[in-house]
Amino acid sequence: MASKTPAATGRLLFTFKKWYYNACGFNKLGLVRDDTVYENTDVKEAIRRLPEPVYNDRMFRIRRALDLSMKHQILPKDQWTKYEEDVHYLQPYLKEVIRERKEKEEWQRK
Amino acid sequence: NIGLHYLSKRLYVTQAARKAEVAEPFKFPPQEVQVTKLPSGLVIASLENYSPASRIGVLVRAGSRYETFDSLGVTHLLRLASGLTTKGASAFRICHGIEAVGGCLSVSTTRETMVYTVDCLRDHIDTVMEYLINVTTAPEFRPWEVSELTPRLKVDIAIAQQSPQIGVIENLHAAAYKNTLSNSLYCPDYMVGKITPDKMHTFVQNNFTSGRMALVGLGVDHAVLKQVGEQFLNIRSGTGTIGSKALFRGGELRSQTGGSLVHAAVVAESAAASSAEATAFGVLQHVLGAGPHIKRGTNSTSRLSQAISKATAQPFDASAFNATYSDTGLFGVYTISQADSARDVSHFHYAVLPLSQTQLKAEYLMSVENSEGLFDAIGTQALSEGTYHSPEAITQRIDAVSSNDVVNAAKKFMSGKKSMACSGNLVNTPFMDEI
Repeated sequence: MASKTPAATGRLLFTFKKWYYNACGFNKLGLVRDDTVYENTDVKEAIRRLPEPVYNDRMFRIRRALDLSMKHQILPKDQWTKYEEDVHYLQPYLKEVIRERKEKEEWQRK
Repeated sequence: NIGLHYLSKRLYVTQAARKAEVAEPFKFPPQEVQVTKLPSGLVIASLENYSPASRIGVLVRAGSRYETFDSLGVTHLLRLASGLTTKGASAFRICHGIEAVGGCLSVSTTRETMVYTVDCLRDHIDTVMEYLINVTTAPEFRPWEVSELTPRLKVDIAIAQQSPQIGVIENLHAAAYKNTLSNSLYCPDYMVGKITPDKMHTFVQNNFTSGRMALVGLGVDHAVLKQVGEQFLNIRSGTGTIGSKALFRGGELRSQTGGSLVHAAVVAESAAASSAEATAFGVLQHVLGAGPHIKRGTNSTSRLSQAISKATAQPFDASAFNATYSDTGLFGVYTISQADSARDVSHFHYAVLPLSQTQLKAEYLMSVENSEGLFDAIGTQALSEGTYHSPEAITQRIDAVSSNDVVNAAKKFMSGKKSMACSGNLVNTPFMDEI
């Protein structure tokens, strides 16, 4: 197989990621990736730290998705979340929470 | 630096020298306070007092007088927020780091300055200095950490409301001034929970500038402090927002709280700290009586007590109240009396008798004997004037006050526009115009 240029590999990876995102299906319910992350203690703390507008949006999307799944419906295609528009809003807070926890554990060990 | 190391081992070497007569004991010549003013405006003052415990502090001209109308109470919250996460260290690390070296970080606010102090053993200066610099120059005020401070704020306010003296003094300032100094040291009730991190950031940006800071150290090397000051404390240069001049208005505030006592303070505007009259007012305060000189004594030498005891037989307490700020001052009388004798207590006469400047001198000298008092003295002088006056200079200044000065000061008080605040059972307490 001829070696692909980095740009072409990048394009291929992007296409694969986009296909996988659409195949997951949560965008059909109007959800964003960080709405679906499993809520362990770290994630719960990160959610607690979200600023109010972001938290309200998250709650709205989750409620709308719950409502749709109860009715066994999905959103019309123009309202599906697009892969390019997906914002990973929780990551900065989650990273900080994990960093703080690790710092505490380091300290306990010493 | 070998000498300092010897000191932290409690001078065993001098004991060994007596036995062995080999090594000569190190001499520790007494040192003077050194003051440097950096081009950024920062004033650095330090004194090497050979103590095993050092104390470093950052004093900022950012007291409650610099709060704006929409951010009243922000200094109270800043006082509580000293342990929060900064850009260089998380809250956890600040707390445990300082604890691990046995240090202590504390904040105190007056109406004009905020003082961040850290004290620890001499060997661990670098660690705590790093945390101190972080806290004063790069706090982050994360929203969830700030909202966790609200219960502490409420506890602080509740404790302050328990003390009638604090209530009277806060009311006195609110009544006496139109702006700046009328701001209370405590957060007003309606602002609890409403001070956002943005307001705190704005306050810090506008007021924590190097032109308004002083870095003071006791038991540290001046060169070390100077290096720290040049490298780390000029993040915000300049003088920040200029505070307004305090305007005295001479109002009256009465707070009926019931109970059996009345706490009342009647003051008039006196002199600014930098003026020559300030020392005269200090002497006048001690002439009139500024608290008993013998613990649990009867305060019988105070002129005020003598005058008032002629007017009423019920128990009371009176002392002269003297507060000096950078551009104004308050001087007057603070009395605590029974509810029904309040009227008699306020109508007293006094005659100015020969002075006792020695009391004022003794109070000042005794206050700089311990490290907190000395630190305060060096810090406030460095911050307000940029230099330090030795205790000898201060005592000379006190000696220079003549009896004429004190009489003039007293006349200024008697004739000046008064301001009054009282709290307690006010059934028998006269209004300001009736005194």
